[in-house]
Amino acid sequence: MARRLTESKGVNTADGHPVKDSSSVSTVSSQRPRKSSSGNGQLSQAAAKTPASPRQRATAHSMAAAQRDISISEFFAKNRHLLGFDNPRKALLTTVKEAVDNALDACEEAGILPEIWVRIECMGENRFKVAVQDNGPGILRKQIPLIFGKLLYGSKFHRLRMSRGQQGIGISAAGMYGLLTTGKPVRIVSKTGRQHPAHYYEIQIDTKRNLPEILNGRGEGVDIPPGEAGQRWMEKYGIEWIDVDHGTRVTIELEGRFHRGRGSVEEYLEQTAIANPHVTIHYRDPEGQERTFLRAADQLPPEPREIKPHPYGVELGTLVGMLKQSTHGSLRQFLTHSFSRVSPAIARRICEAAQLSPRSSPKRIGRQEADALYQAIQQSRIPAPSVDCVVPIGEELILKGLRQVVQAEFYAAATRPPAVYRGNPFVIEVGLAYGGGPSIHRVSRETLAEMLAESDARTLRQFLITQFDGLGPAGADRIIQHAHLRRRMSPAKLSASEFERLHHALSTVNLQEGQTMSILRYANRVPLLFQAGACVITQTIAQMNWRAYGLSQPRGSLPQGPVTVMVHMASVWVPFTSESKEAIAAYPEIQRELRLALQAVGRKLKMYLLRRQRVHHEGQRRSIFLRYLGEVADAVASIRPISREELYEKLVEIAKKKTVEADMRLDEHGRPVSFDGDEFGGSVLVVESNEDRPAEVVD
Amino acid sequence: MGKKKAKGETPSTQASRVFTATDRRTFEQLESLADDVIHATQARRDPYLDIPSRTLSNVRYCPKRRIIEMGRSKNRRHLFNLHQAKTFMQTLLVAKGAAELIHAGKTLSIRGLYYRLKHRIKGTTENTFEDQAECDPIIEDLEVLLDSLREQLHLYADKRGDMVGNIVLIDSGDEIDCSRMGSGGYAIPSIVEPEVIQFKKCTAKFVLHVEKGTVWTRFNEDKFWRKHNCILTHGAGQPPRGVRRLLYRLHHELGLPIYCLLDNDPWGYYIYSVIKQGSINLAFESRRMAVPEAKFLGLRSCDFERCELSDSVKIELNQIDRRRAAQIAKYPWFANKKAWQREIQQLLDNGFKLEVEALISKDISYVTEVYTPQRIAERDWLD
Repeated sequence: MARRLTESKGVNTADGHPVKDSSSVSTVSSQRPRKSSSGNGQLSQAAAKTPASPRQRATAHSMAAAQRDISISEFFAKNRHLLGFDNPRKALLTTVKEAVDNALDACEEAGILPEIWVRIECMGENRFKVAVQDNGPGILRKQIPLIFGKLLYGSKFHRLRMSRGQQGIGISAAGMYGLLTTGKPVRIVSKTGRQHPAHYYEIQIDTKRNLPEILNGRGEGVDIPPGEAGQRWMEKYGIEWIDVDHGTRVTIELEGRFHRGRGSVEEYLEQTAIANPHVTIHYRDPEGQERTFLRAADQLPPEPREIKPHPYGVELGTLVGMLKQSTHGSLRQFLTHSFSRVSPAIARRICEAAQLSPRSSPKRIGRQEADALYQAIQQSRIPAPSVDCVVPIGEELILKGLRQVVQAEFYAAATRPPAVYRGNPFVIEVGLAYGGGPSIHRVSRETLAEMLAESDARTLRQFLITQFDGLGPAGADRIIQHAHLRRRMSPAKLSASEFERLHHALSTVNLQEGQTMSILRYANRVPLLFQAGACVITQTIAQMNWRAYGLSQPRGSLPQGPVTVMVHMASVWVPFTSESKEAIAAYPEIQRELRLALQAVGRKLKMYLLRRQRVHHEGQRRSIFLRYLGEVADAVASIRPISREELYEKLVEIAKKKTVEADMRLDEHGRPVSFDGDEFGGSVLVVESNEDRPAEVVD
Repeated sequence: MGKKKAKGETPSTQASRVFTATDRRTFEQLESLADDVIHATQARRDPYLDIPSRTLSNVRYCPKRRIIEMGRSKNRRHLFNLHQAKTFMQTLLVAKGAAELIHAGKTLSIRGLYYRLKHRIKGTTENTFEDQAECDPIIEDLEVLLDSLREQLHLYADKRGDMVGNIVLIDSGDEIDCSRMGSGGYAIPSIVEPEVIQFKKCTAKFVLHVEKGTVWTRFNEDKFWRKHNCILTHGAGQPPRGVRRLLYRLHHELGLPIYCLLDNDPWGYYIYSVIKQGSINLAFESRRMAVPEAKFLGLRSCDFERCELSDSVKIELNQIDRRRAAQIAKYPWFANKKAWQREIQQLLDNGFKLEVEALISKDISYVTEVYTPQRIAERDWLD
């Protein structure tokens, strides 16, 4: 024990600063008990004067014995909910998510069009094997153990560059979770080129030390030779590998629970496909069903550039730190080189405003002067950070992506110009889809049967609410009522006829009213599936007045109607509320941009709704005219010997001319249709449904 | 549409009937109406009809002739106007009906025409006319539009109003002695033109027109017309055109003065006004219907005191009555008559109205034996 103590002390000393404090405290406190124990009698006298203090439970010494370093891995092993492993359902999803995110980041960084294979296999009750392979650049041999076996190890934390991953926790945490729940190590196969050998590792994380432990090849890993020989070897040892020239495959076994519907792996992949139209994903679920999301765009998004911090986002403390560590000779140099968008002219202006000489040494700037400098930075006009460090999806691709997944009549998208919060540039993008039937109408019998069997919901009502997006309690009640079922029925125990009734109700019940807006949230192209309520996106949407845009909205909650809103925040650093990356924190700048973007699509929606109303109205007008024309033609023809048909045709012609607006739907393309996107200021897609065509009188 | 069209065309192709001069003129009018629509359509214009407006703003009181005349203002009725499309269609439908009647040489009641024209519009759940109240004003529109009277369109209204008295007339060839009509009287037909009715012999000295059947029956039972040698008529409220036209002919052809005995309320005043100078709605007919010399015998606002009636006969004026009274007082043909202004003012001051039946409360035959003879004898009337 004593040896251990000194050891930990040694670590502390090596670490640097905290040592002095802690040791001095321990020396001071260590004298105190000695004093008290020597003068026991005096103490009792003193106790008579002052209120009796409770008996000391532990001494500083004994406490010091328990005080020690906490490894980051240990911390997260205990607090796995922080990383998204709170329950078996979520654990499965989080594992897939972390692996896919890493794969996409790697491919994009290397400039390879990503193709990803996701495979989930059932290994026993509540045990799954998740394998994710990509066609990325592969990982160097010596890096593999660190990347997959050490928390907080990665390339993305220290740079300001837009990427999916940030901290370097995710995949190692998933591996750690697998190890904790099943005892199986993470298996990695990685190959960097056709002629290069593939590296095969079985790794587990040493949670005490936050270091990887390699289990195979006597702690060295195994190299699999390229070509035929390697394939035979892999077959022999049961290592799965889809033959690509380069890429990485991660296999993690973990305790989890597979389900469908909301918050499922499939939903996550589907939403990933919306926001990443350049990605192809092959997915095989535990039942062996395969689904492929093919890429809709053949071009990689432009590569995000790494940037220096923007001066607006730097806090005073950080500024002081930067000044201290600066190697630049002059303040002007410091400003132009450490920050983005600071030209020599701007640097000079900042110095002037701060009443500092541009030539003064940054190291010698005092606290007061640093404050003046900070104020000066905030007050000068500095251009917004450059756009190319954040890569938005783009309005066109948002429309494409949304259309793929959400059936609607009207789509609109808006990409805001980049803005800055705490010096981090970010871009908010919003896509909106209006109209069309909710997803619930498209559920097939088989899928519904599966969903019912897998659901762990206790009541039918709960099942409906949790499994279907945009279906609130009111909608669920309506469906149950329509199917003549009871709300509190167990979803797993439906009879055949009850099942049929439920399926019929699902596909027929009109849910237009009482349907709430469904929201798809993204951060750097990664779908966020949980904690919607804690997210600034949901909050901002609920705070906005959607009634102004033609939607109904109960006070303080999400608007209602057949609306889907997709919100994407692209940033060099997305401020998540927790490490599990489920919700975005509410910075006023972000909220402002969100509002502006939502307002932009809201305005387009309103125009569309008004327009639809007008067309509808014109259609009604026309139908009123048309219905009387036959009578008029009859009457005229009965008085004068002229062709009734000819007269009628001409009257119809005039009627159409008089109601041109309605014509827009009747004539173009020979079917009811399309508005001009320009009219809405672009970035709009209108798909027609036959539903509200003006009723035509057929003669 | 084939079936209907055939029906419409059959008479025109037969054209067996020889048109009278009036029919020929009316039919030409109908044809020019159809031509307007055809021409507009061929020019790809919105067809419209200019219908003289039948409102207070478009009538003019002619002080010289002392009748209401129609002004020149017209309402344009478009086919391609959401609010006018249906009435446009209905107007042409009525024209079609009239053309058919002229061809066939038959007449229909306006209710009959409504039934003849009412049908489901193809491909809809809507009828051409929902009820007769929709059809009647359209007929009047067509009358003013074509400058042809209802009878010229081969239409007539339900008959209303009766007549007894010392007069013998010939109705469609049948001789009718109105002094031998029993308790029911001679029902005044809707069309009383000289072609239909000729006066054969008249000994009566004046005409007493009462408001409604109940009062008329009282007078008839007491044989007032025999005692006072007159003709007794009623119009069941607002007199229909047949009654008004007959009064006009009795006055102008036989020189009989017309006395009116009506309720003491705004509606009574207006009935008198219609008989005297014509109605606002049918101002185009005033020339051949209005009797400017007609006199208003009563009831007067002063009759409650003059005849010492009991409080029980009072009927309180309501808001509508007061508004209507004020409106009538402002009509140009009442505006310059002091006696009438006093009369209406007194009605408003009284705060109640009186029906002719109020006099019956005094005595069953008070109205026939005392009230009316006295008024006539004293020449106590409003003009």
